[in-house]
Amino acid sequence: MKSGTPVDLSIVVPIFNEAPNLRLLHAELATALERVGRPCEIIYVDDRSTDGSLEVLLELRAADARVRVVHFRRNFGQTAALAAGFEQARGHVVVTLDGDLQNDPGDIPALLAEIDLGCDVVAGWRKQRHDGLVLRRIPSWLANRLISLATGTRVHDTGCTLKAFRKDLVERLVIYSEQHRFLPALAMGSGARVRELAVNHRPRRFGKSKYGIGRASRVLLDLLAILMIARFSHRPLHYFGLISLFFTGGAIVFLFMSTVNYHTFELVKKWWQFSLFIFFMLLLLVLYFVLLGLLSELAVTASGMHRRRVLDRLVSRSH
Amino acid sequence: MSETNPQDLPPAREELAPKPLAAARAALDPLAVSASGARLAPPHLATLDVTVLVPITSPRAEVRDVVVALGRELEREGRSHEFVLVFDGVRGKAWSDALELAAQHGDKLRMISFENPFGESVCLSAGFEISRGRVILTSPQYVQIDPLELAPVLAAIDAGADFVTPWRHPRVDARLNRVQSACFNWLIRQIIRMQFHDLNCYFRAIRREVLAEVAVYGDMYRFLPVIAHRQGFRVVEVPVRHLKEWGQSGFFGLGVYVRRFLDVLGVMFLTKFTLKPLRFFGSVGALCSFLGLAILAVVSYQRLTGDNEGLYGRPVFLLAVMLLVVGVQIIGFGLVGEIIIYTQARHLREYRIERVYE
Repeated sequence: MKSGTPVDLSIVVPIFNEAPNLRLLHAELATALERVGRPCEIIYVDDRSTDGSLEVLLELRAADARVRVVHFRRNFGQTAALAAGFEQARGHVVVTLDGDLQNDPGDIPALLAEIDLGCDVVAGWRKQRHDGLVLRRIPSWLANRLISLATGTRVHDTGCTLKAFRKDLVERLVIYSEQHRFLPALAMGSGARVRELAVNHRPRRFGKSKYGIGRASRVLLDLLAILMIARFSHRPLHYFGLISLFFTGGAIVFLFMSTVNYHTFELVKKWWQFSLFIFFMLLLLVLYFVLLGLLSELAVTASGMHRRRVLDRLVSRSH
Repeated sequence: MSETNPQDLPPAREELAPKPLAAARAALDPLAVSASGARLAPPHLATLDVTVLVPITSPRAEVRDVVVALGRELEREGRSHEFVLVFDGVRGKAWSDALELAAQHGDKLRMISFENPFGESVCLSAGFEISRGRVILTSPQYVQIDPLELAPVLAAIDAGADFVTPWRHPRVDARLNRVQSACFNWLIRQIIRMQFHDLNCYFRAIRREVLAEVAVYGDMYRFLPVIAHRQGFRVVEVPVRHLKEWGQSGFFGLGVYVRRFLDVLGVMFLTKFTLKPLRFFGSVGALCSFLGLAILAVVSYQRLTGDNEGLYGRPVFLLAVMLLVVGVQIIGFGLVGEIIIYTQARHLREYRIERVYE
């Protein structure tokens, strides 16, 4: 789609070494978009593939005027590819999907229908996944439970790339590092209305998965950060206070253990000095995290992020 | 940029001073305004092919040799060029030489001088801010590299490189220096996983766009190729002929090694973890905590089963508790890092687009 032509719908597809899938993917996308019947563009973000994906993409672009190809200077990862796609998107609605054919472009009309009903984000939910059970599905289930527990988003499957966003939201969302996994949580932090929709999931045909089990600990750490960013970014002191509270609880338990009359509790007798020691240490941590919280408040204030207009930061509806 | 103050000049040179100074000021004038207020010379000011940028940190700098040698080569290559000499808190012979050269070259040779030394990074940024070349060629303050190497270096830029970093090969300085330098570069390669052999040579050709995007401060000038590569620029290494080496030979002071190590640590952290500080602090912290917990479990088990002395009297128990506390604290640091990055994320774009095919 050449610049200047109004576009209603932008499809963003991050591509990293998916050359054998691309033609099929594009054909499926074209069929799905025909059913949608809106002026649209397809943005392929080539994350510096090394298998000739770019050449295939340029061929597709020559055949289809709706195609735009964003070519990275080097490999920057999936989150960066999505962020670049968001930045380039011109449509009122942005739909993201994987380049590996595991998402079904046939689900796009259903996602759009949900957006039209007034949602800001519609997240795909791979109800029937076709991935390895032990290496992919169980860790993913655990991660999703943890994410929804921590952030309060009721989304079963935040890892599914097939999602639809209103452009309003996309403009207000800043994603970096590997935050694409937490998009629904982050979107809620920006005041978005989030829904989910069961979508089709197909087994991989060509190429191989770029993820493995090694990311588990990283996801846990990211989760700790996302929780803070999505829910406490305007009052980090409360987040650190919450952590302090946790340590305070521990401190009280150990204080109790060290002062209780050990004639009545035989077990405690052996441990009172131990408990006292731990109590002091926990007290230290309580103090320490409150101080870190103050430091964070300073960082937030100094950044001036809250001086920006609220309506530029948060998704809202005017009535 | 400080004013060039005639009173500070050696008396013997005073009669030389006024005219070239006026010329230099006149050349600087339109830019001097923008250099004090606005940051960069706008792109349309890039009217020349090459700006040779020479940071000068010693009064014994061989300014004349450098200017003459590189000037001749650039002339031969047929590239329009200019020289920018940045005096980092030094004057002396180098300054008076520069004044004479400025008188000969007029607009083609300009100087910036600082009253105090601010380091090479500041020199580089300052020189860049008034430069007019499409390519910035930084040169050491003496003829360290064979001027004939200018041709292949610039050819690499013409072939599409954004940044050409030299590799002195073979080297002519003392063996001990070479060993130390090799160790340093090996360490960098291991940490950053990039194939650069020689980060300590500053005969670099840098496309203007790179310096416009990469902020150089502190000791960053040393790692500029690494940072440019991280930003997605094409960095090419070109072997060059090493003529002589000025620096001190033998072992450096302990402080130098400590500082170098800290630099490496800083670059490693900034290149890998700028946008995910919790990944770094969290891993270190979790490791500490885990170690502490493991030791704690062992000593508690011993206490539970055996009838040994109280835990508080065992040093290993103290160690375990300390590790646990430190580990948790380190994770806390990571959280503060995350909030800092989050508040700035709008300004820190992670990706660089080479081209959008519309």
